[in-house]
Amino acid sequence: MRERRFALALFLPAFVLLVATTTLPLIYLLWSSSQRIDLTMPWMSGTAGLENYAKLGGDTRFWQSLKLTLIYTGTTVVLQVLIGLGLALLVLQVRAGQAILRIGAILPIVLAPVVAGLFWRSLVLAPDFGILDFVTRALGLGSYNWLGDPQLALVSVIAIHTWQWTPFAFLVLLASLAALPPDLYEAARLDRAGPWQRFRHITLPLIRPAIVIVVILRMVTALSAFAAIFAATGGGPGSATEILNLYAYRLSFTELNIGYGAAVAAVLLLITLSVAFFLFALRRAR
Amino acid sequence: MRTAVLLAIAIVMLVVWIFPVAWGLLTSFKTERDVLAYPPEVIFEPTLVNYHDVFFGGASIVPNLISSLIISGLTTALTMLFAIPAAYALARLDLPWKRATGFWVLATQMLPPVGLVIPYFLLLRKVGWTDTYQGLVLVYLTFALPFAIWLLVSYFEEIPREMEEAALLDRAGRLRALWHVILPQAKGGIAVTVIFVFLNSWNEFLFAVVLGGNTVRPVTVAMFNFISLEQTQWGRLAAAAMVGMAPVIALGLLAQQHIVKGLTVGAVKGGGRR
Repeated sequence: MRERRFALALFLPAFVLLVATTTLPLIYLLWSSSQRIDLTMPWMSGTAGLENYAKLGGDTRFWQSLKLTLIYTGTTVVLQVLIGLGLALLVLQVRAGQAILRIGAILPIVLAPVVAGLFWRSLVLAPDFGILDFVTRALGLGSYNWLGDPQLALVSVIAIHTWQWTPFAFLVLLASLAALPPDLYEAARLDRAGPWQRFRHITLPLIRPAIVIVVILRMVTALSAFAAIFAATGGGPGSATEILNLYAYRLSFTELNIGYGAAVAAVLLLITLSVAFFLFALRRAR
Repeated sequence: MRTAVLLAIAIVMLVVWIFPVAWGLLTSFKTERDVLAYPPEVIFEPTLVNYHDVFFGGASIVPNLISSLIISGLTTALTMLFAIPAAYALARLDLPWKRATGFWVLATQMLPPVGLVIPYFLLLRKVGWTDTYQGLVLVYLTFALPFAIWLLVSYFEEIPREMEEAALLDRAGRLRALWHVILPQAKGGIAVTVIFVFLNSWNEFLFAVVLGGNTVRPVTVAMFNFISLEQTQWGRLAAAAMVGMAPVIALGLLAQQHIVKGLTVGAVKGGGRR
């Protein structure tokens, strides 16, 4: 009993602070989403009930934005896991440069996403003086407006995100691969199992937990991605790279229609929490 | 032959990861004419004019660096003050509803920041805390605190129980056991947590751009503002980015060995084991 009281005394301050700083604002967000809060028309403010949510149904920009969120999250996560895993498997076999690669991998991760977006926008993707344009021109493929063309812009922001976070997948998977017991492979080699069979039947099942962790964390990061896209395209051209985060931001702080922005943010919140919950349940079931 | 191919792929990867930062470093020493040259120049006459601008010019980022330092420092200090006891309770003590509260702490860490920035915008305006240090630090706690709690729990759990029990037999008292036995043992973990919390606070952008202003403008926002000027000066932007990112790159290299753990901690704990 005394221990419980001691435990609570240590835990409660942080608990109360967390409730106050996260849970209460979220309740306020839900309440705001039921209000008409338009800073350009303050006289219109009042209760809206579920009006904001009803509006979502007929809002093509919202559906487009939802679709972009799914594309952005899906492709970046798949690319990161595939490239990260492939690279980790490769690097495991070259002992020499591992240390340097590990250090190099840290650079994109610690960079502020807003800087990643700015660097790519100015140094890599800018037409004419960006490096990528130089490469495609040198190869005779011509010059492109990488961030100005709607489709290329989407590919570009996906590339930026993949660039920044693949090192994360790489580092985690490399650590988990390096921890596998080597004698397992000896036995398999004696049984004349080929490289693919060894990977499929020994490596993959053993590193599955690490892959699931990577997928969960990468999905959460992708679903809250904001700064890199904001810096690179601002959601544009038009709304070509406007994932839900950007849409909720632009609604609330550019168009100042905060009530409706809150409704979009609430939808995003629901998606993130259910994805996280689903993946955790899946992981526990294993 | 096979090794050569593997090595080549590894080198290409390394170049891709390092390239934007390396090119940024190069660009920061270029005059505006050299930046816009085609084909891009690797050999040029380096200049310090961009750095001079960034430190002493009209758009100096020194105030922004100070802003970032105050916000990140305060956030880190407050976070550690609350997170250390809470993490110890979660790791070692008999806490009611431990699993549920643990999961809830984890879930708060996953919230998309745009869902928080909207209510905070309305709330801070009401109390007049937009563009203030206390306002931003309060909001930064929303991501720093849950992260720190989970990272510290994993370090506290690694400490052998015998150490603590020995201290308790000495009638040292729980709080003194925490102070004299646990904290020294977890020193490394606490240092890593401090580094990560500081790094995440330093890199934050969305909260800062919405809830900051002319008084409180961290360096991430200042860098972004460089491009909304009439004519973007890329050389100056690159120099600002180099100066602004130097602390986090240094911290990242310092915590290099621990970065995998720091990045995966939430999922490792929340998913399984108990």
